[in-house]
Amino acid sequence: MSDIADTHGGQVHHPGAATYLIIAAFLVVLTAMEITVFYVHALRPVLVPVLIVLAAAKFALVVMFYMHLKYDGWLLTGVFVFPLMMATVLLVALILLFAYLSNHMAPIG
Amino acid sequence: MAAQPKPLPVHQPSYLEGGGIVGWLTTIDHKRVAVMYLASALLFMAFGGLEAMAIRVQLWTPDNHALSAATYNAFFTMHGTTMIFLVVMPLLLGFFGNFLIPLQIGARDVAFPRLNALSFWLALVAGILLHLGWIRGGLPDAGWFGYANLTERYFTPGLAIDWWVVGLLVSGTSTVLTGLNFLTTIIAMRAPGMTYMRMPMFMWSLLVTSILILIAFPALTIGLIFLLFDRFFDTHFYVASAGATPILWQHLFWLFGHPEVYIMALPAFGIISEVVPTFSRKPLFGYPMMAYSICLIAFLSYGVWGHHMFATGMGPVADSAFAITSMLIAIPTGVKVFSWIATVWGGSLRMTTAFYFALGMILEFTIGGLSGIMHASAPIDLQQTDSYFVVAHFHYVLFGGAMFAILSAFYYWWPKITGRMLGERIGKWHFWLTVVGFNVTFFPMHIVGMWGMPRRTYTYGADMGWTHLNQLETVGAFILGIAFLLFYINIFKSLVSGEHAPADPWDGRSLEWSTPSPPPAYNFATIPQIRGRDAWWILKYGRAGSRGVAAYMSGQAPSQPLASAPADVHIHMPAPSIFPLVTSLGVGTMGLGLIIDWYRIVIIGAAVVVLSIIGMGFEYPDFGQESHDPEHAPSSGGIDVRKIGIWSFIGSECVFFASLISTFIVYKARSVTGPGPEILNIPLTSFSTFILLMSSLLMVLALAATQRGDKRWERIWLGGTVMFGLIFLCGQVYEFTSFMHEGMGLTTNLFSQSFFVLVGFHGAHVAIGVIWLSVLLVAAMTGNLGKSRATSVELAGLYWHFVDVVWIIIFTLVYLMQAVPGA
Repeated sequence: MSDIADTHGGQVHHPGAATYLIIAAFLVVLTAMEITVFYVHALRPVLVPVLIVLAAAKFALVVMFYMHLKYDGWLLTGVFVFPLMMATVLLVALILLFAYLSNHMAPIG
Repeated sequence: MAAQPKPLPVHQPSYLEGGGIVGWLTTIDHKRVAVMYLASALLFMAFGGLEAMAIRVQLWTPDNHALSAATYNAFFTMHGTTMIFLVVMPLLLGFFGNFLIPLQIGARDVAFPRLNALSFWLALVAGILLHLGWIRGGLPDAGWFGYANLTERYFTPGLAIDWWVVGLLVSGTSTVLTGLNFLTTIIAMRAPGMTYMRMPMFMWSLLVTSILILIAFPALTIGLIFLLFDRFFDTHFYVASAGATPILWQHLFWLFGHPEVYIMALPAFGIISEVVPTFSRKPLFGYPMMAYSICLIAFLSYGVWGHHMFATGMGPVADSAFAITSMLIAIPTGVKVFSWIATVWGGSLRMTTAFYFALGMILEFTIGGLSGIMHASAPIDLQQTDSYFVVAHFHYVLFGGAMFAILSAFYYWWPKITGRMLGERIGKWHFWLTVVGFNVTFFPMHIVGMWGMPRRTYTYGADMGWTHLNQLETVGAFILGIAFLLFYINIFKSLVSGEHAPADPWDGRSLEWSTPSPPPAYNFATIPQIRGRDAWWILKYGRAGSRGVAAYMSGQAPSQPLASAPADVHIHMPAPSIFPLVTSLGVGTMGLGLIIDWYRIVIIGAAVVVLSIIGMGFEYPDFGQESHDPEHAPSSGGIDVRKIGIWSFIGSECVFFASLISTFIVYKARSVTGPGPEILNIPLTSFSTFILLMSSLLMVLALAATQRGDKRWERIWLGGTVMFGLIFLCGQVYEFTSFMHEGMGLTTNLFSQSFFVLVGFHGAHVAIGVIWLSVLLVAAMTGNLGKSRATSVELAGLYWHFVDVVWIIIFTLVYLMQAVPGA
């Protein structure tokens, strides 16, 4: 089986089964690393950054290879990445705003 | 050499002709859908206008009791809600956007005509739900912003807020579908040669507005879902005594609410950018900067929501950040105002009513913009917030900006839409009464606001010194009422006995003026080839502005559809469909059942929705007919429109889940009772994560098998994906059940409710994916899938993988970071 599948009359090339299996192996390994990091107490100080990097790597692998964004051109990338960027801004902004609020609000009761 | 307009040999029936009532109920023609938006918006505008008049009657004298306080609250709530969601947006997007997008980009319809019809019917259902309080339960009365925790059932019992929540959820769904449709249409269906930098500026504004809709509305949806859960299922998302904060609502609402201002303003800017060049007989000045300014305004508008919340105490850093972004947004807005003025400058002006309203918009909107810059400064805003100064400001923006532009657009495009001219004489009266009435109503509000008159106040004391200015405002409101009465009369007279409109009555510049007035159902006999900006102008006069063809046009003979080749004999247009109407009736039934607490009705409504969506899927002309249907022909970029559509939807879903996840992180450590994150079962969810990741592998293998025509492995991999999806769902059911047994239910505490809502919504997405894939599996097993339908599998796969990546984030942030404190 060819590693490159031809679709849409030759306009867009998607990877074949071999690439998909390699990506799956990476995803399994990365997930195993995440779970390991969670259970190893010595890694607690770096838990957050390590988990975020690992999750971002898994996210990128699925989006680029399984969702074919790596092959489908800049237009679809833009349609997805811009809202994703805005969603990330929203997430971080709300966490920071409420962290400030928590530190400065009167205790309940 | 430019193509010359050619006469058509036979009469072409317009889109308005034929079909009868059934034709209208089942139409998916973008022009008919637009007309239906118009009809509903004009009806709701009468409601909203009368509510405004009643508000002004109440404020005519001090200590007045013409209305009860409760009725007054309901009227200002419904006035704001109606004008924003049921009038301004439907007119700008539903009416003008729908009618003009295909005509200005040289297409025969929008990318997804059935979805377009569904958007309209959902919008109508939303409007009806919002007004059913007249019949039962009372009208919503907590302001158009519905601040928590006033909207909680404890403070506002009864059905009034329920109508508001459900109505706005349906309205938001309609708007998101419209945004998705418009974005895809403008990206993918432009005529050959129409590059982005050749698009009419109105198209630029709608393109950017569509993006803004997709990233702004999900925040409102999440805010409303939390409120719905609080009111219907006894959660406490906005209840301070449970550890929650009502400020969360404000953030979610204004994350939507300020972009919403630009969702209404940007199309208005686009309209003015069409009208001003036409009646100045000059190209738009600074076209590239105008386009970039629209993009910059939209981008910045997503980072200014905090200026509505300076009074909540966000801290000096956040206040400064929001103040800076709010001030920055004045720069691209100023670029637009100066470009319009430069376009008018030195032009050969024709003072039509449309141009009058355009000039009026530039002036009035600038006043609103200037008072807006004041609000960007936190110390000044603290003095002005919740005063009548703010009411004056946003009416100068939304009436002086959006409504003046809408009225300009009416006088400009009405001949194209109906084939009849609006009366210019009555139009001028309409304009001057509007200008006088508008300024007499709203300018004094700046002054009484600075004197301290609070907005939303039911009445005021005689000793406050506000009486005379309030009486002046009321007089202005009645002048405005007379102006709108003239407008309705003008419309009525035009429809009954208006002068017939030629194809190009204004010597227009964009493609819609190349079609007959009103246009035929298919818009263009032949899809035009675009040779430059101001496409129709170039075709009429050539690039150098030659007057040769102008002489041809001077006789005002109806110009013809652009025809560089003989008109197509067989133009295939998508068939009408009853399913958009039926689906929206099902949605309305669900909403009704939920509100009146009759869950059998909800189930019936849900069944109608599911069956009608399946029905729509079966009549979908593309199923198995890749790219042969002009409705879904590959875009100019070679990408199937459906792929652009699903990616747009996925982009919007990013914001949806980001809102849910951020709420979970904020609330997870705020519970005042019950279990917390330590209850989460990592081994179980690790297994579920593995299952979902492997389902993605099977999904992509299924797609590869479909693309190479391998039917056996297509069935195997699809079946495997469905099975893994079901295993994941079973794991989630087991997890939820075990939590219940351990004493953690939906309403136990803030952690449990934010957890169940977040993970539950993800689970709902997985369930929808399983149903979608099951339908494809059945199609594969009955031999109805195969290589020619690979795109159908790819679309389902994209959705499935997205559900997978969302879980990757949830697994990390919710489960593995359980020991990390919340915000």
